[in-house]
Amino acid sequence: MLKDLKKICDPEVFEDVFNLYGKDLRRFLFFKTKDIDTAEDILQDTFIKLWENCDTVNYSSVKGFLYTVANNLFLNSIKRNKVKQNIIAQLGSNYNLESPDFVLEEKEFLIKIEQTIASLPEKQREVFLMNRIEKKKYKEISELLDISVKAVEKRMHQALIIMRKEIGNV
Amino acid sequence: MKDQNNIHNDQYLAQWIEGLISDSELKKLVSEEEFTTLFNMREKLNTYIELQQPLDSIFDSIKNKIGLKSKPRKVKWNWALAIAAIIVLCLSLVTLLNPNDRVFETGFGEQKLIALADGTEVILNAKSSITYNESDWEEERTLNLVGEAYFKVKKGSTFTVNTQRGSVEVLGTEFNVNVKDELLEVVCYEGSVLVSQYGKKTTLKSNDNIRKVNGNNIETWTSSLSRPNWVDGESTYKSMPLKYVILALENQYNIKFETDLIDNSMLFSGSFTHTNLEIALQTVFGALEIHYYEKEKNVVTLTSN
Repeated sequence: MLKDLKKICDPEVFEDVFNLYGKDLRRFLFFKTKDIDTAEDILQDTFIKLWENCDTVNYSSVKGFLYTVANNLFLNSIKRNKVKQNIIAQLGSNYNLESPDFVLEEKEFLIKIEQTIASLPEKQREVFLMNRIEKKKYKEISELLDISVKAVEKRMHQALIIMRKEIGNV
Repeated sequence: MKDQNNIHNDQYLAQWIEGLISDSELKKLVSEEEFTTLFNMREKLNTYIELQQPLDSIFDSIKNKIGLKSKPRKVKWNWALAIAAIIVLCLSLVTLLNPNDRVFETGFGEQKLIALADGTEVILNAKSSITYNESDWEEERTLNLVGEAYFKVKKGSTFTVNTQRGSVEVLGTEFNVNVKDELLEVVCYEGSVLVSQYGKKTTLKSNDNIRKVNGNNIETWTSSLSRPNWVDGESTYKSMPLKYVILALENQYNIKFETDLIDNSMLFSGSFTHTNLEIALQTVFGALEIHYYEKEKNVVTLTSN
């Protein structure tokens, strides 16, 4: 009874699958394309393909299906458009597009950023996250924390000095 | 560092990242090498931030392209049922000769809307009941609750909900009371309510939540819903001991869980749907890395890794 209920053609299940794998797939595609817009376009097309095949894909194998389709769509896209030139130009001509080293390197930079943010002193981290992730203006932050705008900017400046040390030269 | 108006040694990076100082202005402030490093840092940060952004808009455009209508999952409350409930109540007022204690209860997976004589509305969640004395109702608006219910109280004299774990007093407001075993949870959606537990009184204002699980401290937090999610076919929890989430699943789906092999004091934050058991199980236990399988009909065994 339980196993057979998971049908990807069920819109709720489909949305759950998207919520479960969407972000990871976007990262995966970004590592490959090095371009967030292209990554998100391919992400969309991948899920449209999943929907078109929803009655033939089992829930248990959906992850494999998504990554395979995403990878194929990515390879097709470099065959026909300029993403290829961008990537080749950036990486040098002897670069192998599917090299796991490249993916690893890119993952490492994200992990490095996460670790650096986590290592910031509490007061700096608070301001940094409110400003960069939550997109709050310094004025709003100063009101929320009940400190001057100048103090907010000082904390942010300190945080950026640390970020620069850790990730500026990678 | 050059001396310029409004640019301070210990703030300029903050102003630059926010766009208050342009790249060319920054170039004047720092060495070329330093500028390259900073520029590089900003690019990386922006990429990181973009990868953190939610995917809602992408899913919306996927839905548009495949012609999916937006969420069909919300089950709207059927007001016809409300009218039916009122008619039943009126009829029973006429026909019952001895209208003293009145009981309303719900079975597994059932919800009921009850209209009380004073216009107060009560929505009972699954496996719950309310009892009240009808003859005293005009003088004393007091009822007993077992389980979970959402109240929309008509303004008037004090309205009291008694439970085994404490009482809730209000003047005219919307609130939810959930009482199971050793748990008492109250959420106020409008107005204010007074919660009494063993002589301890707490006042809740709009959007305040309070929870007490026996032996633990009282927890309070705020939320911004206008009514409880379960009314719309979804149960939502914030750091709730798993035991009570499992109880709610049992009441909703008329199943039993075997929990001997797991730690049911783990905390669960999230929601489960009332319309699809498999998805409900997956959202609750998937998140906690608990395996589940159906041992026999309607008995689900839980195991941890």
